[in-house]
Amino acid sequence: MIDGYKRFMNLEEPLPPKKAKGFFTDTSLCIGCKACEVACKQWNQLPADGFVITGNSYDNTGHLGATTWRHVQFIEQAKANGNRQEQRWLMMSDVCKHCANAACLEACPTGALVRTEFDTVYVQQDICNGCGFCVPACPFGVIDRVPKESTFEVGTAHKCTLCYDRLKDDMTPACAKSCPTASIQFGDVEELRRRARERLGELKARGESTARLYGMPEGKEALEVGPLHAFFLLLDKPQAYNLPEVPRLPRTTMAERYGWSAAVGIGFAMVAALVFRSGRR
Amino acid sequence: MTEGYYDYPVVRRPVWTWEVPAYFWLGGMAAGAFVTASLAQTLGSTDDRRIAADGYYVAAAALVPCAPLLIADLGRPDRFHHMLRIFKPLSPMNLGAWTLTGFTPLAFARAASHAADTGLLHGPLRALARLAPRRLVELAGSLLGLTLAGYSGVLLGATNIPLWAKSKLLGGLFMASALSSGSAAVTLQAARRGAPDATLHRLATVESAASLGEMAILTAYLMQSGKAARPLTTGRFALPFWLGAVCAGGLLPLVLHGVTRRGHGTRLQSVSTAAAVCTIAGSLVLRWSIFEAGKVSSGDQAASFELSSD
Repeated sequence: MIDGYKRFMNLEEPLPPKKAKGFFTDTSLCIGCKACEVACKQWNQLPADGFVITGNSYDNTGHLGATTWRHVQFIEQAKANGNRQEQRWLMMSDVCKHCANAACLEACPTGALVRTEFDTVYVQQDICNGCGFCVPACPFGVIDRVPKESTFEVGTAHKCTLCYDRLKDDMTPACAKSCPTASIQFGDVEELRRRARERLGELKARGESTARLYGMPEGKEALEVGPLHAFFLLLDKPQAYNLPEVPRLPRTTMAERYGWSAAVGIGFAMVAALVFRSGRR
Repeated sequence: MTEGYYDYPVVRRPVWTWEVPAYFWLGGMAAGAFVTASLAQTLGSTDDRRIAADGYYVAAAALVPCAPLLIADLGRPDRFHHMLRIFKPLSPMNLGAWTLTGFTPLAFARAASHAADTGLLHGPLRALARLAPRRLVELAGSLLGLTLAGYSGVLLGATNIPLWAKSKLLGGLFMASALSSGSAAVTLQAARRGAPDATLHRLATVESAASLGEMAILTAYLMQSGKAARPLTTGRFALPFWLGAVCAGGLLPLVLHGVTRRGHGTRLQSVSTAAAVCTIAGSLVLRWSIFEAGKVSSGDQAASFELSSD
C-alpha cells in the first residue's frame, strides 16, 4: 500500500547519502576582490541587483538575497592606541550556512526545501510556491523570495545551492573555484573542520588573539541550529560581521508557544461553558 | 552595546502583504464564532441555542475570503495546492493550510444544517443539509477552529523577527483576539435579530471574558518583548495600535458592556452592537499593526542581537 501511495504521489526514494560537503571561509585571507560574487552570479545566471552606491566602504551589495548568494563585507575599524589611531580592515564573504538544523527547511510547508545527499540545504524550484515563511525563519537573513516583478524565477524562494549542479559532476562550487586567496575553501566538512582548527592555531600563535571559528560543533552558535556546513574563521566578535551570537531555531520554542495558545483557548471554552450553563433552568 | 555591521539588518524583511493579517482576522473570527455557537448549542438555554446558531453563518461567511487571501499572497499562486502535497505539522504554515482545509467544509456543513432548521433551505438541499451529524461536526469543528485561531500567532512567533519571536505569547494573544472578535460577531447577529436581554447579557459576559484575557496577555506580551516592541508601541504604528487596537478594540467594549450590565431592550441592543463592532474592528487593527510593525522590527539590528544573545 505504501508503494502504491509512493507511485501515486510520484515520490522518489532519497538518493544515498554522500560525504557532507561545505565551505570553510577563512576571513583572514579575504582581500575583498568580490570574484566569488561575480562567479556565483555568472554560474547561477543571477540577475544584477541594480547600481547602488551605499557609501559603506566598498560594500555596494548590502546583503544576501534571492539573487545574491555571496556577499563580501568590508568592515572598517578604527581604534585609539595611545595617541595613535590604529586602522583595521576586515573582509568577509558571507554565504548560506547550510545549517545542520535548518530553520528554513523546517518552516517550509511544501517540502520544496530539502536536504541533499551532500548534506546541504536546497530549494526545489519546481515545488516552491513562494509562501515566504522561510524568509523570516532564517536567523541569518539568507533566503529571500524573488519579487513578483523580477525577470528571474519569479515568486519563489532562493538561496545558495552550494552549486548543487556542479557537485553532481564532482566540480568545486563557482565561488570557491574563483577565490584567488583560498579564503573560500570547499571540501568534505570533516576535513575542512580539521583545517580550520589548524589555521586558528596558527593565527593564535602569531598573536591574532581575537581570531575565532564560527559554526563549529562545539561553538555556542551551534546550540540550536547545529553545526554550520558553511562555517567561518572570524577576526572579531560575530556581531561585527552581523552574525548572531546564538542563532535561534524557531522549533525549540514552538511547543511553549502552542501551549500558551491552547491555554487561552481552553480557558475561554471553560468560561463560556459556565456562562451558557448559568442560563439553563 | 554591540557593534554590528553598519546599520544593516541581521534578518530579512518578511515579504508578506496585507492579505495575511486580513486572513488571520477573518479566520480567527470564523473560528471564534463557531466555537461560541457550538458551546451555546451544547450547554445553553433554548433562547441561547436559537440565537447563537447564527454564529455558524458568521463562521461560514468569514471563511469565504480566507483561502483566496492566502493564495493571493503566495509568490506562485498557481502552486497553492503544493501546501497539501505533504503533511508536516512541524511547519505552522503547513498545519494551518490543513486546518483551514478541514475546518472550512465543517463550518459550511453546520451553517447548512442551521439553514435547514430555520427554513432557509428547501427540498433536496434541506434533506442533504440535515445529513451532517451535528454533534460530531460541532466537536470536530471546534477543535479545528481553535487550532485555526491559535496557530497564526505561533506562525509569526516561529520566526526570527524580534517583535514576533521575543515573547512566546503571540499565539495566545491572537487566540484571545480571535475568540473576542468571534463572540462579538455572534453578539452582533443576536442584537440585530432582537435577542432576549438575558441572552445578550450572557453573550456580553463571554465577549468581555475574552477581551479581558486579550488585554492581560497583551500587557504580558509587551512587557516580555521589552525594547523589541518599540516598532509597535512607538512611531508609525503607535497610533493605530494604542488608539485602535487597545482603546477602541479592547477597553471601550469592556466599558460599554460594563455600563449596560443591567440594561435592557433596544438600548441594550444598540450598546451591545457598538461594543461588538469595536471589538471586531480592534481585532483587525491588532493583527495588522503587529504584522506591519514586524516588518520594521526585521530591520532592528540591536533587537536581533538581543534575541540571539547568549
